[in-house]
Amino acid sequence: MVEKSPLQLTKQPTKHPTIFADSIYKSYMVDGRREPVLAGVNLTVNPGELVTIIGPSGCGKSTLLNIIAGLDQPDSGTVELDGDAGRNRLGSIGYMQQKDLLLPWRSVLDNAALGLEIQGVPRRQARQKALELTGLFGLAGFEHQYPFALSGGMRQRAAFLRTMLLGQDVVLLDEPFGALDALTRVQMQEWLMDLWNTLKKTIVLITHDVEEAILLSDRVYVLSTRPAKIKLMMEIDLPRPRSFGNVTDPDFIELKTRLLTLLHQESPQMSVG
Amino acid sequence: MRRSVKEIEQEQPSENPVSDGLTATASEASGSSAIHVWPEANRNGRMGAALLRIRSWGIPIAILAVLVGAWELWVQLGDVPKWQLPAPSAVAVELLDSRALLWDHTLVTLQEVALGFLAALAAGVIVAALITYSRVLESSIYPIVIASQTVPVIAIAPLLLIWVGYGIEPKIIIVALISFYPIAVNTVDGMKSVDPDMVRMMRTLGASRWQIFSKLQVPTSLPFMFSGIKIGISVSVIAAVIGEWVGASEGLGYLITYSQPLFLTARVFAAIVLLSIMGISLFVLASVLERVMIPWYHTEKKSKSSGRI
Repeated sequence: MVEKSPLQLTKQPTKHPTIFADSIYKSYMVDGRREPVLAGVNLTVNPGELVTIIGPSGCGKSTLLNIIAGLDQPDSGTVELDGDAGRNRLGSIGYMQQKDLLLPWRSVLDNAALGLEIQGVPRRQARQKALELTGLFGLAGFEHQYPFALSGGMRQRAAFLRTMLLGQDVVLLDEPFGALDALTRVQMQEWLMDLWNTLKKTIVLITHDVEEAILLSDRVYVLSTRPAKIKLMMEIDLPRPRSFGNVTDPDFIELKTRLLTLLHQESPQMSVG
Repeated sequence: MRRSVKEIEQEQPSENPVSDGLTATASEASGSSAIHVWPEANRNGRMGAALLRIRSWGIPIAILAVLVGAWELWVQLGDVPKWQLPAPSAVAVELLDSRALLWDHTLVTLQEVALGFLAALAAGVIVAALITYSRVLESSIYPIVIASQTVPVIAIAPLLLIWVGYGIEPKIIIVALISFYPIAVNTVDGMKSVDPDMVRMMRTLGASRWQIFSKLQVPTSLPFMFSGIKIGISVSVIAAVIGEWVGASEGLGYLITYSQPLFLTARVFAAIVLLSIMGISLFVLASVLERVMIPWYHTEKKSKSSGRI
């Protein structure tokens, strides 16, 4: 127990980390066998940070995010949201999955307003609030279009808008740009950083793209293969604001090489024959 | 940053495969070019769409005309007695001459079909909702639904007459019994077809079970429900006729059973023609309703198949 000096006692108490995941264990029954997915994952996300989780395919990244979001319960271990472990996190944490999951029968505006409507906000008011942000999300002029008429990038942004409209401070993103082509992905990455800067959210992002992880985040967690635990946490101390041009900087390349090497060690080797 | 977002927007209008005029120039261009281009290639232009519709209706009508023509020739040249097989021309004459009589009976059958079908629709949707909402209800109700279909209606119909009487009620019950099944089964499939990722998404927005049901499952089930409706409404007409055959004093089915022993074969055919028209019109009505209620479903499929996304 560290002694606090009188000076420290008059300061503000240290804020809780926004997310604190402690010894998360999770397994699934597959064909009658118990398959361990997560074996003691520890994760901390501080207020206002952008943290990335990266790892080999199928290592349980999405499972971890599901647990953090409150969709699933861990077999053991706790997740604290703002220091509170007993609280129902479902609905308090924004969660965007890889598919845009827009409701095809609703216009862009109504899709964006969906979260607010569910919370009980009357439709007209919800639409009004959504309308205020369509410009920021690059959807101005497309409010009354249906999802099928939009391109992939626009649909992703519409899904973003829906997630952000609920005004939650924490947002989880599961490979949000995975389904996009390379060009759109770069634009979206820069747009996300801009948005994060403007709205001051705490973001946890899953990606398999090493460049994306280094470009966007403050810290990167590397997850091992199943049963997964945190293999490494890497601080990305590159200066902000960052842009796609930084990808060729020597610092960036050094971090990228380190990360790639670590990931390569983790992935099961494929052999021929 | 703002500027690069705007650039993305400006590119969109020309890429958008939206069918009905996102920009005037897009639809004009496709409209005028459709005259010179094979219609298949240009479903999204108004001219192209109209041409395609004419082509698609023209073929079955032409086939029908050929068959009717052959029928007429067969009767005339083969000197077939009119009580055995009337010529199409004789049927047409009968339709005209007895139109008042035929119209009265048509209304009766139509009433049976409409009321029975609406009852089936209400019951089908409610049962589907119950089955989807609770697994307990599913295992208890669903087998009964299926079993109900295995009992031959023709066997039940006379019993209904004994229990309910000779009025319009037994016919409505028979129509409802027969058209209930396709509606219920299709709607259940529709409600179950909901994407589990969508459900997860709704849960992360904080949706309650009821909200997931009303805002997600119900709209998802609509295309399936309409499939069930189209099937149900087609068999409704047959069901009404079966009901009338077993015991009635009005209706087109009754007219057929009454006219046959009197060898008024042209009248029998006239009634059959009217029943056909009724069935087809109701089907078309259901299709139109479908396009009105789930416009997104068809435009989504159309733009996907045009391969321009």
